Amino acid sequence: MAEQLIAGIDIGNSSTEVAIVEVRGNEAVFLTEHLVPTTGIKGTVMNCKGVAECLQRAMEKIDKKIEDLSIVRINDAVPVIGDLAMDVISETVITESSMIGHNPDTPGGEGIGIGQTILMEQLVEHATEQQAYIVVVSKQFDYEWVAYQFNKLVEKGIQITGVIVQKDDGVLIHNRLQVKVPIVDEVTMIEKVPIGKKAAIEVAAPGHVIRMLSNPYGLSTVFDLTPYETKQVAPVAKSLVGNRSAVVIRTPEGQIKERKIESGSVLMIGDRSSIKVNITDGADEVMGTYKRIGVLQDVMGEQGTNAGAMLNGLRHNLSEITNQRIEEISITDLLAVDTKIPTSIRGALAGEITMESGVALASMVKTKKTSIQTVAAKLEALVGASVEVGGVEAEMAIMGALTTPGTECPIVILDMGGGSTDAATTDEKGVTRTVHLAGAGDMVTMLINTELSLHDLELAEKIKMYPLGKVQSLYHMQLEDGTYLFSEEPFSPDAFGKVVLREGHEITPLPVRHSMEEIRAIRREAKRKIFVTNAIRALEQVIPTRNIRHISFVVMLGGSALDFEIPEMINDELSKYGIVSGFANIRGTEGPRNAVATGLVLSTLNGCVSER
Amino acid sequence: MKQSYSIVMHMEETAKALKGTNPKEVVIAISPAFGKALSKTIVQVNHSEVLREIMSGIEEQGGVTRVIRYFETADLAFIGHQAAKLSGSGIGIGIQSRGTTIIHQQDLDPLSNLELFPQSPLITLETYRAIGRNAALYARGENVNPVPVVNDQMARPRYQAIAAILHLKESQEIVQNKLAVDVECTFTISEEEMV
Repeated sequence: MAEQLIAGIDIGNSSTEVAIVEVRGNEAVFLTEHLVPTTGIKGTVMNCKGVAECLQRAMEKIDKKIEDLSIVRINDAVPVIGDLAMDVISETVITESSMIGHNPDTPGGEGIGIGQTILMEQLVEHATEQQAYIVVVSKQFDYEWVAYQFNKLVEKGIQITGVIVQKDDGVLIHNRLQVKVPIVDEVTMIEKVPIGKKAAIEVAAPGHVIRMLSNPYGLSTVFDLTPYETKQVAPVAKSLVGNRSAVVIRTPEGQIKERKIESGSVLMIGDRSSIKVNITDGADEVMGTYKRIGVLQDVMGEQGTNAGAMLNGLRHNLSEITNQRIEEISITDLLAVDTKIPTSIRGALAGEITMESGVALASMVKTKKTSIQTVAAKLEALVGASVEVGGVEAEMAIMGALTTPGTECPIVILDMGGGSTDAATTDEKGVTRTVHLAGAGDMVTMLINTELSLHDLELAEKIKMYPLGKVQSLYHMQLEDGTYLFSEEPFSPDAFGKVVLREGHEITPLPVRHSMEEIRAIRREAKRKIFVTNAIRALEQVIPTRNIRHISFVVMLGGSALDFEIPEMINDELSKYGIVSGFANIRGTEGPRNAVATGLVLSTLNGCVSER
Repeated sequence: MKQSYSIVMHMEETAKALKGTNPKEVVIAISPAFGKALSKTIVQVNHSEVLREIMSGIEEQGGVTRVIRYFETADLAFIGHQAAKLSGSGIGIGIQSRGTTIIHQQDLDPLSNLELFPQSPLITLETYRAIGRNAALYARGENVNPVPVVNDQMARPRYQAIAAILHLKESQEIVQNKLAVDVECTFTISEEEMV
């Protein structure tokens, strides 16, 4: 047999990988491999551009031309495609402005004050000694003047028990007062504060949270409420929990509600039964139902609700991508995850933000068999070598995964990519089972993007991929595990004091106010919610007995197996079931990448491969 | 009857400026002519108001301000860097008579900076307050979002000539080899009654 160059190409959702092997007689040697982003939707002729570029680059690495290739093998892409959606399911509305509960960076003083609200303009002329006052100061007043007037009036016997300020002047006024009172500042919509009403103000010491106004019985004490009224103000107290400062103003009609949006229900149709589940019940309930109905056939959302809109949106996107009619799209997998979405409170006085609960959905649909033959023909014309369509993707992946030192059949692989989490297993008889589940790396990115309100998917993607640090000075930073790192070179000035991403030696400052600990918690929680949940789900479905304790070895593949913490999280979880898991090391050198491409090449050789 | 008031600043140069030791301290270095030969910025805002806003921003965040006057140069980078080097926290603010402002840190190169506000005609009093606020946050070691900077291409042609004149006046006040001095700034409020 003459010398031959064979290329195996794996077109994935997000990346295209190639492995090139040289066959000489009975000897076969892996020469090189390469990876580029996939162009277009996988399984379409759009992919050819990326594939050609990938081959070009790989051949350059070994100083050869594309024309030298004798056979190119591409994978028969799995006809599943996923999409994501997310929406809030609760909403806090303040009807009648009756409270301010926010965390200005620097309120003034501390303690509790109770009095009648009065405008600064009216204070000097209309204040009487019989009444305690909480003064409302709009931005036209200078702090020096305000403090000067207060000091004069207090000397005259006027009681001032608290101050509400529009500008960020809390500490400035406080520093100039002879009699100290609590001050809440940065109340942007100050003109909406009801005047002439009884109000209470509370500011906690730095690092503490308010206790009186966030307690329903505290409010009933302050405002002298009946048990019935106490019940009514309970939501006010609840919404103030965790704040450093707050004002509550008693207006007869005023109330605050947390109302649940009509988020609607989804009907999950399985092969055993169909169950309707309310989205407001949360992700756990949805996923519990998913298990009870057997194998999912389709999911329908209730018309005219958030759930309906979300699922329709998904269907719409998917039908556009796959060129199928909306009615033909059936959802074969659904992953629901609880999330917190920062949302401005409607009717708030100081731009208060609450973390509303939301739900994120990932779904997967089966598409028509992708036209891989068309891709192969187009590719053949483009590269000039003969192109064959290789075997089933999962079998190829398993064959590639088995090149990891220390693995043997039967094996379970867990392929964690950007768009889907797939699992496959093969038994001693060579029978392969596969599952394709919705929710993977892209969903983690979406959760990070939303929970940190970044509005920047690229940045969210980076936060997902790299560990954090907090720059303490130009020469040292704290790492997220709590240790410190000195730098020989000064950090860039725009990173000073910032939370940064550490990509190797490069650091990127993050444009967010969250602390390093908060960002880390959000990142890890998103990964855990999606990958750990999906790993368990995938393994349960792929193992014929449906009991994951019957698995002994799991090999992780795909881009997300390269992540610096996901394999460890999954390992942690699976070890509870007595499973040995770890990420693959394809051919002993490639790590969790290149499994399918390697499998494609190997399948032509029948095992006559030696390592390079 | 309506009451009005005015706030007056009084500046007094005292002793030679030394390195501060208070970690809460932010030093503001003013240029040779600031509040002396010149009293207003390029857009006719009183120097006293500018300085007061920066100081207010620092105080609101719990910082302590020290003002010094720098005589040896009118170059903003070096004025700001000198402020940072003498500051107890290592954070300093430099300001020129025409209003251009910089936030500096002692370990940086003089020509580098933490934040620079190069277009003096566009800096408002709110921005000066925010500059003081950010400087104090840097001193506290917090994760700081830079003050938003407005940019106007027309500012350069429109103000270039007057900026040059102001810089010339500033430069005339330079005293070679004269060390920076502390400046005591006091503000007094006076009430005026109007009928």
